[in-house]
Amino acid sequence: MLPFVYEFHWTPFHVTFLLVFFTLFSMVAATLVLALRRTAAKDTPEQIEHVRWHTDFEDLPAALKACRHELRGDVKHRTCPNGFDCRTCTVHAQINARVRHRPGMQGFQVYGFSMSPYRLYHRGHTWVQQEKDGTYTVGIDDFGKRILGTVRSVELPPVGSRLYVNGSGMLVRSDDAAVRVLSPLDGEVVAHGTEEDDWLLKVRAEQDETATTHLLTADEVPNWILREMERLQASFATAGVGVTLADGGELAPNFHRHFPKADWDGVLGQMFLQA
Amino acid sequence: MDNLLIPRGVRRTSFGSFLLWLLPWFAMLSVGLYAIYLCLAEGLFHTNMDNRFAFGIWIFLDLTVIALGAGAFFTGFLLYIVRRKELAAVINSAVIIGLICYSGAVLVLMVDVGQPLRAWFTFWHPNTHSMLTEVTFCLTCYLVVLLIEYLPIVIKNRQLRQIPKFLVFEFELHKLMPVFAGIGTFLSFFHQGSLGGLFGVLRGRPFAFREELGIWPSTFFLFVISAAAAGPSFIMLTTRLVEKITRKRLVRENVYQLLGKVSGLMLVAYVLLKSIDTLIWINSTSPGTGFPAFEYYATQSFGTWILFTEIVLFGLLPALVLLSSRLRSDRRLLFGAAFMVCCGIMLNRFVMTIQTLALPTLPFDAFLTYLPSWQEVAAFAFVIAYGVILYSVTYRYAVVFPQERELNLAAGPESVPAKQSLLSRLRPRFAVQLIQKFVSLF
Repeated sequence: MLPFVYEFHWTPFHVTFLLVFFTLFSMVAATLVLALRRTAAKDTPEQIEHVRWHTDFEDLPAALKACRHELRGDVKHRTCPNGFDCRTCTVHAQINARVRHRPGMQGFQVYGFSMSPYRLYHRGHTWVQQEKDGTYTVGIDDFGKRILGTVRSVELPPVGSRLYVNGSGMLVRSDDAAVRVLSPLDGEVVAHGTEEDDWLLKVRAEQDETATTHLLTADEVPNWILREMERLQASFATAGVGVTLADGGELAPNFHRHFPKADWDGVLGQMFLQA
Repeated sequence: MDNLLIPRGVRRTSFGSFLLWLLPWFAMLSVGLYAIYLCLAEGLFHTNMDNRFAFGIWIFLDLTVIALGAGAFFTGFLLYIVRRKELAAVINSAVIIGLICYSGAVLVLMVDVGQPLRAWFTFWHPNTHSMLTEVTFCLTCYLVVLLIEYLPIVIKNRQLRQIPKFLVFEFELHKLMPVFAGIGTFLSFFHQGSLGGLFGVLRGRPFAFREELGIWPSTFFLFVISAAAAGPSFIMLTTRLVEKITRKRLVRENVYQLLGKVSGLMLVAYVLLKSIDTLIWINSTSPGTGFPAFEYYATQSFGTWILFTEIVLFGLLPALVLLSSRLRSDRRLLFGAAFMVCCGIMLNRFVMTIQTLALPTLPFDAFLTYLPSWQEVAAFAFVIAYGVILYSVTYRYAVVFPQERELNLAAGPESVPAKQSLLSRLRPRFAVQLIQKFVSLF
């Protein structure tokens, strides 16, 4: 290596200087090659969706990453370190074992939104309901629908394709923006909903007991929706003033039309957990 | 027009306004390009440098921007090695500024050396006895590191990240960033040091010559520490400038406070070491070479005021402001001190480059004067214009300040509430005291 350098002499100074330089140069090159190799190795849709969600989640403001147990009041403050995937979270298991949950509520209105006690909710504003045949139907929750406004088109993944938790579930184009709605489940798409159905996808989830443990249950929904309302209000609050007392209440009908100049792309991106 | 390229949730001016903003900078760039062409095609006679005044405005400003660009390595070091996660809010900006500073410096050096096509000679025929060889090797190597660090910022663009390979590559590079930060710190330590060291070894210039500590003269260490002090201050200033221009909040107050504190700590260490170094130089090194130190300050232009300004006014004073959490919490004092730190580093590099060469060292030498030609100024204006354009384009299309979206979409409270200006708090009290004293006279 060293004698390749012109006028090189075997003196301690030459050897040390060039050794250090070539070592550093090699380290830079090796690290870059490592990054390229790892990139080449991650080529499956699952890995790509995982990376997409990981980077999106990293970029979310800390307030958005509050743990479900913080929303529920089980802990005072906790930021989710698992990308809202409670299936592998040891803290979630510990708290669930310790805290007795209130029973699920009846059909309920939460701050003006219709929520069902038979459905489980994903933080990216989708719901999941288990059907009698063991499959799950998936749809956008009332909050999500109301803030999306007039939907122009919905691009669903083809039947037979695989979905990954927090990966791309569907692409919704409204008048104001295009939003990637996150998938609440791991599984295979078995059917698309028709216009009469209130669901959009039917998914055969992987046969796993923990398939839905990361989803919010009925008793967690009110606090979560309250937080979401606060976030939504904060998005429209005057800079430097913040949310004021007069900003409370339920979402007005055709709420969308009241803010024609709002940055809907930004608001929807934030509400649907996208960077 | 370019809405789909702009990051989600942030507001940017219209494409037309953006082009208007870039227009004067492109004009400046064109003039600079012409000046560079003149110097490269026709020779360095277009400059006012000569065989005796071989270091002019280019080297002075090169040293300055390299010191100011030190924020890139030092912020990276604090974020990835010391794990001060608050600094993630400014790391992208620090990398862009570092890249602009270092690439600009290398570009101007290429014009100065005059044979850019033979740039590879320095690697193939290295003079291993020269500090400049170390500078060249470390500088180019670090520029490569900065380019690698800049890459994830670009490919994280909203449209580019739709390409799966870019998305994953950005993710993987980000995971390996501590390695680059470590290498960058090592390289920066040596090239910042060697830039100082090359003045310290000038035996023929007793004004700059310093005693050795180990194998390096003391200026080696002073350059490293002063760059580490100025880097965070420059990051603060540029971030504040972008905030002012865009009329947005880009980072939280605690980030400014941390940068100010770090800058203050490094600066106080620098002032202490610089004072000791100056005292040793005045009492031992300079007399040892046959020159009483105060002879250097006998000329009108470079009186002792310059020493006072460098060490006390632009050194000790901002260091004390930045170290005091009470004073630092006043934004005007904070940014005023940061500005003074940057002025101080500029003055130090000016003294080391221009004053060193201007002062006579032989009995028949006269005091040399030098004023840069328009070509020299324009060539450096090219770097400034290029820097503004690169920063503006990156800011428009990439996420430079990760907190921007949160701070501007949701008008939430500050993590550290902005305090009332110290001056505005002092003034009424002072006025009341004055009135009370006046009344008590009667």
